[in-house]
This record gives sequence, structure tokens and C-alpha cells, in this order.
Amino acid sequence: MAKTVFDKEMFLDLVVNFIPLFILLFFIVGYTVYNPFGIDTTFRSLQYALIVTPFIMLTILTYLSAKAIGTSERDAPVYLPGGATVDGAEPVEEHEE
Amino acid sequence: MQITGQLALTVVMGLFLVVIAAWLAQIEDWRSYTPIGSGGATGESGYVSKEKPAGISRWLTTVDHKDIGLLYGAYGVIAFVVGGLMIMLMRIELLDPEMTLLSNSFYNSLLTSHGITMLFLFGTPIIAAFANYLVPLLIGADDMAFPRINAIAFWLLPPGALLIWAGFFPLGDIVPAQTAWTLYTPLSAGVGGGSQANAGVDLMILGLHLTGVSATMGSINFIATILTERGEKVTWANLDIFSWTILTQSGLILFAFPLLGSALIMLLLDRNLGTTFFAIEAGGTMLWQHLFWFFGHPEVYILVLPPMGIVSYVLPRFSGRRLFGFKFVVYSTLAIGVLSYGVWAHHMFATGMDPRLRASFMAVSLAIAIPSAVKTFNWITTMWNGRVRLTTPMLFCVGFISNFILGGVTGVFLASIPVDLVLHDTYYVVGHFHYIVMGAIAFAGFAGLYYWFPMFTGRMYQRRLGKIHFWTWMIGSNITFFAMIVLGYGGMPRRYATYLPQFATFHQVATLGAVLMFIGGLVWTYNFVVSWLEGPKVQDGDPWNLREDGMYTNEWQWFENKQETALADGGDEEEAVTDGGTTEAEAEAEAED
Ligand code: HEM
Ligand SMILES: [Cu+2]
Repeated sequence: MAKTVFDKEMFLDLVVNFIPLFILLFFIVGYTVYNPFGIDTTFRSLQYALIVTPFIMLTILTYLSAKAIGTSERDAPVYLPGGATVDGAEPVEEHEE
Repeated sequence: MQITGQLALTVVMGLFLVVIAAWLAQIEDWRSYTPIGSGGATGESGYVSKEKPAGISRWLTTVDHKDIGLLYGAYGVIAFVVGGLMIMLMRIELLDPEMTLLSNSFYNSLLTSHGITMLFLFGTPIIAAFANYLVPLLIGADDMAFPRINAIAFWLLPPGALLIWAGFFPLGDIVPAQTAWTLYTPLSAGVGGGSQANAGVDLMILGLHLTGVSATMGSINFIATILTERGEKVTWANLDIFSWTILTQSGLILFAFPLLGSALIMLLLDRNLGTTFFAIEAGGTMLWQHLFWFFGHPEVYILVLPPMGIVSYVLPRFSGRRLFGFKFVVYSTLAIGVLSYGVWAHHMFATGMDPRLRASFMAVSLAIAIPSAVKTFNWITTMWNGRVRLTTPMLFCVGFISNFILGGVTGVFLASIPVDLVLHDTYYVVGHFHYIVMGAIAFAGFAGLYYWFPMFTGRMYQRRLGKIHFWTWMIGSNITFFAMIVLGYGGMPRRYATYLPQFATFHQVATLGAVLMFIGGLVWTYNFVVSWLEGPKVQDGDPWNLREDGMYTNEWQWFENKQETALADGGDEEEAVTDGGTTEAEAEAEAED
């Protein structure tokens, strides 16, 4: 359990989910700065909840799945996806392409 | 109406119970049922009987995931044909602006049933067909985690279909529902004139409910299977992409379908027992829309994720190289899963909801486009400089990508509020989602059917006919759905049986495309039936020559083992794939394509 599974390579893989997170963040900030529709506490808070909730959920799921995948990669041989039970399957190298 | 309506309802439900009773009576081996807690998750395959009964009772009693997969497949294909015939009638009616062939109300009925049939009776089941057959093989499991629940989940579907189509059968004065697939209240609550209070609507809602229960049971089964039944060597790091998409899809089903079920029950109560959930002065017109689309948008991703998985899985096999950025595809699948719950009100931009909320839904809708686009780039990059073999399954994969781009791009436009306010409820929307559901989802389904045909049947299909099927569909779908996009820009509203004369030309073009697809459909049916019965037998476990590229996978390995055992002991209870008339070399050449 010594080494963390979150190394540089992992972060590169996760960029794909950072982009939608960034877009959500962009709108959170944007709607704070620019708000043509006036202040109404209920709808204003719902407005944020609707963007912040997906943001948080996506962060959590990305973290959990990355951890699961990273841990398996560290602790067990990695085969071709879908090819682990092929006769005489050899582990593939770490990097893809 | 009440008397006959209720009578018919009783008869249908009674028949249903008889079927269940008969089915229960068929299970000979009650003792073999293993309740939970009887040891490990694996190693229970003992109670999936080795000896299958012969003939029809095999299919009625089976709990083997492969048999159930084939049942789902047959069911989905039949529903696809029914839904397809319905739309052919409608497209012929739309050849001219007036009401000619069909009455307006029958058109509305067909419209409603076409949508529900394609989404709930074809889309979800055909995906379950692939998942049932393949997921246990791909993850090295003996069977699904709960084989009997698996069987029940399937057997809920046929009564579901009968109920959904009940209005079309001669059952007293039951008429088919005319609510459209979205069942918007107050219309669907039985308010207003027409046949909206007819029992046909209730039966359809009950049928929908059954299919929802079925999908939920199936999803729990898949989640349990993928989480607990993986073979020793199958880890999260080498789980195949199709199983990833099934896992995500099952999660989506688990949260979406029970909500639909509850909303449907509320609707039934409103219709029959005088509750007022959706009455104007209570929940108002918006409550149903929120409930429905909170299910409805995840549903569209429930339908598209596994087909994306099939394409991500099959496309690399014919590109001679591994899927580019495999993990990108995995993470973006999960991202789509989460975000799909945050976009539902983009179907409601035009309802006059609070503009602040609308803005939030637009934000998330734009964010969800990224993971979809990422996948598209991954598929294209996989083919780039690859050794591409344009076999029929590969052609369908490429067609998928092309159509998915068109469907996705039109979707992003619709996700932008100002654009949507112009295009909402026009044929543009119809064009958008048909590019996805037909152009992409069905295409991926056919890619899968052709790719695994040798495994499902032990035989090879006719390559020429496969290609004719592809080209008629590729050209036909683009003619039809592009014409719909154009009609939408022109302002043609959706869901009408008649229209203004200025739209006639493009409606005729759309019908032309549909006829082309109909012809392709005939070719496909002929090809599959004839090849299943008398196609050349597959000689080895690698009909696509995947070993050459080091792309051989678990399910074909299973197939190879099965064939070798079949050869060694002179055939087992499966139709043995023993020696056919063809030589090794011929089979190889056959498989080349
Ligand atoms: C790229 C991401 C997508 C975006 C941004 C998007 C956006 C939209 C929007 C805004 C609408 C509502 C249009 C209106 O009624 O005014 C819509 C309708 C629809 N979309 Fe998409 N879409 C996307 C992908 C998909 C996918 C993947 C599917 C199917 C699997 C799909 C199926 C549908 C359906 C069925 C409707 C029509 C529902 C109805 O009103 O009957 N969309 N889409
Ligand atoms: Cu949507």
C-alpha cells in the first residue's frame, strides 16, 4: 500500500473527465458573475444545485473508478481488455499506444 | 366501455397468470435452487442443469444465460420488425399532405406504439440480448449471478408487449393509446375528448410498467455479475469495454426505471382512482414532464452506451490495432452515466420554466457532449493508419460513427436554449434522435449481430447480402433523417398525420429513404434466416482471424473450446458444430469477410 496509484499517467487518463468538470466550473463562475435574471433565493440556489451536484458526483465517481483501476493495475497482471482468459494470454505492457 | 374494457383486462391478466402457472409447473428441479449464503459466488454453476430438456420446453425453462440471450434477441428482433412495419404505414401515409390511407387517430396510435416499441421492446431487450450472451463469457463467469431472476426478467417482456399492443387486437372497444411515447399529462391522464380515457391507455401503461420491472431486474443481475463473478484474471484494469458500458448502463437503469415505474403508477391512479397528482390545480402540467424526463434522458443513454461499447469493442478488431485511448473511453462512459442525470430539462426548454434553472440544464447538456465527442475521436484515431478490413460488422461500425456525429452535433445545437426555442417540436428533433437511435444504436446492434453471428449460430452469413444491407441502410437512413432535419428547419411540426403542401417534397424524400431501408431489411431477414439454417459451418474458433493481430478475446476462446469439445466427443447437447461440407480453407475465405 506504499505507492499511491495516482501518478502522472493516471492524471493524463483522467483529463477526459476534467474537461466536463471544467465546463461545469466555468458555468458556475459564469452564472455568478453574470446574472441577468435577478435574485430569487429559491431558484438561485436550485440553479447552483443543478450544476454543483453533477460536478460533485462526477468527481466522486471518477476518483473511485480511477482508484479501482489503478489498484488492479498495480496489484495484478494486466491483460488485453477482454483477453484475460484466452489460452496462453500474456500480460500487455503498461502504456497503451 | 367499462364492462367490456374491464372484462378484456381481466381476461388478459388471467391469461398472464395461466402462463406463469404453466411456467412454474415446468420447473422440475426445485431442490436445486440455491438460496443465498450457500458459499461463494462462483462455483454454483452446478444448479444450472447440464442436461437441457429438448424442444420447446428447453426454451421455456432455460436459465442458461446464452439461451436467455437468444430469447432476448429473438424478442428484440420481432419487436423491431413490428415497429418497422408500423413506421412504413406512417411513412406511406405521409406521402401526401392530406389524410388518405390512415385516419388521423390511427396515425396517432401507430406513432405512439412505434416509439414505445422501438425504445422499450426493441432497444432495451436487444442490448440485454448481447449482454446476457456475452458478459459472462467476457468476464469469465459461469453464468449470471442470479440465473433464475434472469429468466423471470425475460419472461416479463412478452406479456408487456401484449399489453402495450393490446389496443391493436380486437378486444371489444379497447383502442390503442394515442398519447405519444412521452405520455404528457393532462392528455394522458384522460382529460379532454378523444379516446384518452380508454382502457387501451391503461393497458399500455401496465405493459410499460412490466418492461420496466424486467429491465430493473436485469440491471441488478448485471451489476451483481460484473462486480462479483469476474474470473480470477479479469480485473478492473482489463475488463473489456462492452462490460464497462453494461455496468454503467445497469447503474443508470437502476436509478431511472423505478422512477418511471412510480410515475406510471401515479398516472394510473389519476386515471382510475381519482387521485390528482397531475391535475392542473395540483402537480400541474410540469410535474409529469419533470418525472418523465428525469427517467427519459438517462433512458437515451441507457440505449446508447452499450452500442458504443459494441463499436468500441468490434471496431479495433478490424482495424488491426487496439482501441486508442482505452481508458479515455472507460472514464468518459462513466462520466456520461453521471451527467445524464443532470440534463433532463433540456427537453422542457420551451415550457416556460424559470430561466435560471434552464441555464443550468444547458450548462450540463453542453458538458455531456464532451465525453461523447472524446469517444468519437478515439474511434477515428483507432482506424487511422490501421489495417482496416471493411467487413460487414466493420461497415456498420463506421456507419455508426458517421451517423452518431450527425446526431450528436444536432443534439448540441438543441441543447442551446435560443436554438431550441426555434427548433423545439419540429422534425429537426425527430431527425436528431433518429440519427442516434436508428443511425447509431440500431447500426451498432447490427454490427454486433453480424460480428457474433458465427458464434450465435455456428454458421456464416452471406457476405454480399450483408453489404447490400449495410449500403441500403446507410444511404436510406441518411436520406430519411436528413430530410427530417431540413423539414424541421422549414418549421414542420412533429407528430402530425397531415401537413401543409409546401412540406410535401421532403416528406416524399423521407419516405423514399424509408422504402430503401425496408428493402434492406428484407435482405437482412432473408440472409439471417437462410444462413442460420444452411450457411457454411464455421470451422474454427477464430472466424475473423483475430489471432493474427493479437486481438483474440475471451468469448471466441469459449467458442473455440466449445467447438473442440463438440468435435472430440462427437457432439454434446448443443447443436454440434461438427464437420460441415466446407474445407478449412473455404471457411477461412468465408470468414475473411
Ligand atoms: C450529444 C449529446 C446530446 C444532446 C446535447 C442532446 C440534446 C437533445 C435535446 C436538447 C433534445 C430536446 C429537443 C427538443 O425537444 O426541443 C433532444 C431530444 C431527444 N434526444 Fe437528444 N441529445 C444528445 C444525444 C442523444 C442521444 C445519445 C440520444 C439517444 C440515445 C438522444 C435521443 C433523444 C430523443 C429520443 C429526443 C426526443 C425526445 C422527445 O421529445 O420525444 N439524444 N436531444
Ligand atoms: Cu435528453
